[in-house]
Amino acid sequence: MMDVFLPWLFAGTPFAGALVCLALWSDPYRVRMSAIVWSVITLASIVGLANRLPAPPDGLLPLYLLPVAAVVSALGQPVHENHRLSWAMTLVFLGLGMGVLTAGNPFGLLCLISLMLIIMFLLYRHHTTLWPISWWGIGSFGGGVVGTGLSLAAAPPISSVASLAACAVLLPLMPFHHGYLTALTRLPGSLPPFIALLLPVLGLHGLATAMPTIPNEFIAVVSLLALASSLYGAIKALAQSRVRLMLGYGSVSFFSILWWFVAGAHAATPRASVLAGAVGLATGGLLVAWQVIRTRYGDDVDPQAISGLAFPMPSYAVLLSLLGLAAMGIPPFGVFAGFMGLLLTAPPASTIGLFIALTAWLAASWYIMQMVQQLLFGARRPDLRYADLRRPEFTSLLIVVLALLALGLAPISWYASDQVPNKTDAMERSLAWNG
Amino acid sequence: MRPSLVLIVPFLLLTAAGIVMIGGAMSRFTRAKAAAYPIGLAFLGAIGTLILVSSQGPVTVRFYDPASVTSLIIPIGFYVDRLSAVMMTLITGVSTIIYCYSTRYMYQDGHARRYLALICLTDFVLICMVSSGNLMMLFLFWQLLSYLLYLLAHNHAHPATSAGAFKTFTLLRVADTAFLAGIVLAYQLYGTLEYQELFARVAATPMALSILPGLHVSATTAVTFLLFIGAMGKSAQFPLHLWLPGSLFAPTPVHALLHAGIINAGGFLINRLAPLFGLSSTTLHVAFVVGTLTAVFGAAMMLAQNDIKKTLGFSTIGQMGYMIMECGLGAFSLAVFHLIAHGLFKATVFLNCGNVIHKARQEPHFPHGDQADGEAGFSRLTWLTGFVTTLFIPLLILLVTHGVLRIPLLESQGTVIILFFIWITSSQAILTLTRLRAVASWKVSASMLLTLLFIVFVYLFAVESFTAFLYPNPEEVASYFKAADLPDWLFDLIVGMAALMTILGWTYLYMHAHGRTIRMPAWIDGLKIRLYTVFLNRIYADEFYQLVGSTTSKLVHRIDKLERGWSR
Repeated sequence: MMDVFLPWLFAGTPFAGALVCLALWSDPYRVRMSAIVWSVITLASIVGLANRLPAPPDGLLPLYLLPVAAVVSALGQPVHENHRLSWAMTLVFLGLGMGVLTAGNPFGLLCLISLMLIIMFLLYRHHTTLWPISWWGIGSFGGGVVGTGLSLAAAPPISSVASLAACAVLLPLMPFHHGYLTALTRLPGSLPPFIALLLPVLGLHGLATAMPTIPNEFIAVVSLLALASSLYGAIKALAQSRVRLMLGYGSVSFFSILWWFVAGAHAATPRASVLAGAVGLATGGLLVAWQVIRTRYGDDVDPQAISGLAFPMPSYAVLLSLLGLAAMGIPPFGVFAGFMGLLLTAPPASTIGLFIALTAWLAASWYIMQMVQQLLFGARRPDLRYADLRRPEFTSLLIVVLALLALGLAPISWYASDQVPNKTDAMERSLAWNG
Repeated sequence: MRPSLVLIVPFLLLTAAGIVMIGGAMSRFTRAKAAAYPIGLAFLGAIGTLILVSSQGPVTVRFYDPASVTSLIIPIGFYVDRLSAVMMTLITGVSTIIYCYSTRYMYQDGHARRYLALICLTDFVLICMVSSGNLMMLFLFWQLLSYLLYLLAHNHAHPATSAGAFKTFTLLRVADTAFLAGIVLAYQLYGTLEYQELFARVAATPMALSILPGLHVSATTAVTFLLFIGAMGKSAQFPLHLWLPGSLFAPTPVHALLHAGIINAGGFLINRLAPLFGLSSTTLHVAFVVGTLTAVFGAAMMLAQNDIKKTLGFSTIGQMGYMIMECGLGAFSLAVFHLIAHGLFKATVFLNCGNVIHKARQEPHFPHGDQADGEAGFSRLTWLTGFVTTLFIPLLILLVTHGVLRIPLLESQGTVIILFFIWITSSQAILTLTRLRAVASWKVSASMLLTLLFIVFVYLFAVESFTAFLYPNPEEVASYFKAADLPDWLFDLIVGMAALMTILGWTYLYMHAHGRTIRMPAWIDGLKIRLYTVFLNRIYADEFYQLVGSTTSKLVHRIDKLERGWSR
């Protein structure tokens, strides 16, 4: 009987936290503390009760990761009255996210529509001269709302295809990726690091539900689109000089690889969750790390103008290096574990597909390493004032690194069943590797 | 007892890193010195492991279930056989010396703690890599090694070093990606990454892959070729060799470790997967070609450099080419012997090169210029000695080893080609060392001959014994040589060219020493100058890579501009 109320509990706890934030509105420090405490309470309730929920096809991992990401994003933002809204909205988004992941339809889909509508509103309200309003981004979310609505109202196969389009907005896939990028670059305060994880895991959750009903003709199109999108993301990331855009495009590239795997397997497994969660966390962590630079040297500072942080900011240097390694897909972090897990367990795919996926993986080493090297190494500039991480910033980045390490090292059997491949099948699979 | 001895070696190295890293600034010198003890103990542990596996066979320790695909992502396990134990002993032995040297060398450096900890961590990663229980674990530590190399060869404030480190990381990642593709392909085709099981399945189920419509390759060739590209990266093979000269700004002890341990990873990988490589003649032939090109280019570029570290760096590239060439000829154990000998030699040279540079800066007449006086004369005795050592002794060696020692040198193409390469290189070495000066002394000539004979026979005996130690089954060794056999016409061509080059070289020098004019076409003289310029500029490979990088960058930005609009 209690199980029926669990989704309400998981979704309601952060909402209660958001109400408490409103009550404490005059004191920014307490608003932030409230956001952190209520996220921790949500995490505790999930740890205690999640095993009572029916396991979705993509596993329970996203449920654990979302509160962690909420804590990380709240901690990474310095205390200022301008950031109160973003902390409260982090809790609102967390509640809606929990609703999408734990409640069945139609409540879950209504939560998703609400989430996208709120994001559209925030994107409409929050823009600056550096980041002007993006109608493409707002329009993408509008498309997502329509797709979700259609999936709720229409019959298959229209509902399946509409659902697929909504998933492509959330788990970014070219040409539906503008919404994700706009959210990552324009949402205020602590929201972008949280959104970097929230949207992809919700998209993957939708994909896991929709995938078995998608017609085969669409699967082939999705595969091709995913490969093109992974290359596109990598190329765009290489060309960016603005860190948030570079991270956004980089994650689009990785998420597109995930689309390719999911389309190939015709299912979104818990392994896909590991990759989605790890890429989202790593992107969020890097956004927090970039926030540290923005706090010290101004919003949208040119990364080319910063160098030599390694010696005067050792804690920052170590954590940024580790995050960079994780985001590049180097072991023992979660991105590598997720990527390898999918590579090894996916059915044999085309040689060209594998080549493109590996090229996108390789490109990440270039653009992320370039950014990390630019910031940390090189000559120290006498005109820059160097200040190492404050305790909340340090804690925030450390949590991300530890979470990524845990994703890489923890046995997947903790949140998924052990699927032993039939070795005879491995021998008897088709050996036609031509594209 | 057996598993704990195997595990204690990496554990001690990790402990050493911990000792260096953890603690206050006041005790850092004491801790730096104290960390040498666990490293020394690790060396003793490695020797113990070598004795153990030599007498009782391989040791396997697994912390995962090989039947479960879910545990395959980070499958920590150890497989220590004779090959692993030999590598462990080499790495820990060299590391002990390098670490002790480094504690004094970096004494006044502000970053000594980070540097010493990184050295310990690199040793740990190397040990885990050579004792890895499966292909996936090997790859994990292989990648970590790429990153540690980036950190070790890095000086925060020096722009040229930063650029070199970035180049190192990028090139190694390219090779690592191919390695990863090889692993994925192997797993998808054979369903396992456990060494012995993989070898058995590959041997039992020959398959063909259709890469493109109408283009089929053997599955073994596809897998081994991709893995070989991984080996090319770490072992600085042409055209992925550029990272090595680019990392020469690092502290000298790093080079000792790099040239004695890290760069041998490629040779180790091929030996670890010898049963797999032994099934693909195509990959072995590719290895032979790549190795030969690297050996020739490396040696040629070495001769044209005017900087002691770069000279040594290119010498290493040449030697690594030689080692890969040996692998390509099926002489896997010889490659391991070579990498051990080269590692010890190069570590010594690098650790000493600082003294030479220092001395050269202090003494204006160093190196001493009195050698030029002896080159004017001509001595028949010296020339006779040179003739005997380079043209007569090789034949004698062949007869004695084949007839008396019963070492089957002539039974495979590989050994014959290697012998001819030894002949060429020893001729070149004698010419370089003695320069055939007019020192007409029977004592010098006799001692030179006897020393050479002694060294060659001991070397051959040691190689043969080492082969028997590493690969106790002679049929296995023969099968590798067989797999590496070249087409007859190519084999004859190589042997003929080697003989011709050696004899022509000697004739030219002899006539030159007699003061006779050797008529050379003008284009050959022009070619000599052009080749010198090319090798002095390291065959313009840096410029080529720079061009590729800038062209890619321009293309990427052009695509970005075409697509741009909404986000700016």
